[in-house]
Amino acid sequence: MRGVKGEMQMRRLLVVVVATLMLPLSAQSQTQGPPEAASDAAVPFRAGGTTPLSDMASLPTPRMADGTVDLWGTWVGGGPVNDMAAGLKAGEELPMLPWAKALRESRTNPEDPHNFCLPMGVPRQAGAFPWRFVPYPTHTAATHLFILWEGFRNYRQIFMDGRPHSEDPTPSWFGESIGWWDGDTLVIDSIGFNDKFWWDRAGTPHTEQLHIVERWTRANFSTLNLEATIDDPGAFSRPFTVYHTAKHSAPGDELKEYICEENNQFGLAGGHPNPYRADPAP
Amino acid sequence: MRMTLGLFAAGLVLLCAVPVVAHHSFSVEYDAGKPVKVTGAVTKLEWTNPHARLYVDVVGSDGTTTNWNFEMASPNILERNGWSRRAVQPKDQVVVEGFGGRQSANRGIANSVTFNDGRALFAGAPDR
Repeated sequence: MRGVKGEMQMRRLLVVVVATLMLPLSAQSQTQGPPEAASDAAVPFRAGGTTPLSDMASLPTPRMADGTVDLWGTWVGGGPVNDMAAGLKAGEELPMLPWAKALRESRTNPEDPHNFCLPMGVPRQAGAFPWRFVPYPTHTAATHLFILWEGFRNYRQIFMDGRPHSEDPTPSWFGESIGWWDGDTLVIDSIGFNDKFWWDRAGTPHTEQLHIVERWTRANFSTLNLEATIDDPGAFSRPFTVYHTAKHSAPGDELKEYICEENNQFGLAGGHPNPYRADPAP
Repeated sequence: MRMTLGLFAAGLVLLCAVPVVAHHSFSVEYDAGKPVKVTGAVTKLEWTNPHARLYVDVVGSDGTTTNWNFEMASPNILERNGWSRRAVQPKDQVVVEGFGGRQSANRGIANSVTFNDGRALFAGAPDR
């Protein structure tokens, strides 16, 4: 994490060597919450590929020279995919206001902005493809922390320099985020979101009043837990908390390029128009 | 045909894996009630996002040729599952199994691609 090339190479070598000595290792589940809604469960289709993971749960949480938890690594998972409710504790339901529930029920999957290469927002963006935390500067206490998502080539900026939130941030897809360490837990406090992204394929909505407090805890080398408390009085009757877990991908797995706009043919096979194109081509 | 099988630290670590989710849901674009199995000659492999696409000329019983457009997973996922952009070349004979589009007659989604030598590769695009 300190940006020293030799140190990183040694760390990666250590990961491979230690992992080699740990055969066999057991698999772990991706999320803490109940299984995601499987609306397509009846489709006789093979699972859509895998991202190899390295299970190094018995290795301790890595730390930097000053003792701060080191979040370095390529992570997989950590957010909702099909249904935001999947991250709730068992027995809970999303406390949607009537209008929000009605909007969710009226939305159809082909309208998902994500289908047309628009961002998935927070915390959904972490649920798709590998991603990383990247601090800046790397050799001393970070003033900025970036999240780089392979999926859709998006990034997120988190201010770690102690600044407060802006008075009136311009609503944006990833909001305005400030962060700090609470012991071994990274806290990210975010406001200033727009209301355009969908939290899941079910179309769970939110408003610009959205306030998210994420608590990221690296429980061991290969497990990164998220506890996200969501407060949006515009769409929900009370705050609620979702839980997800990201896993460390296999040694040597790096982020790959993903330019969604390159050749997106979504809708042509199923006959779905792009509802986000203001001026459809004739 | 050249095929690069990506092996991730093979022999070094026992890897577990989680399914990755794709760009969109299966059922909004494709019909599980339209299974497709075609044999034909590759005309093009587009190694692009959000999905790679395999185009195959298929000669029907009436002698006419239809160029199928098969959606596959995205290159990042395919590479993590044994594919490369050089895995198939134009004129290669392949068998593609998958499902047809809900509306388009010559668009489909590939579940697997089998090559002349019998090797088969996962090709699935959506999460199921």
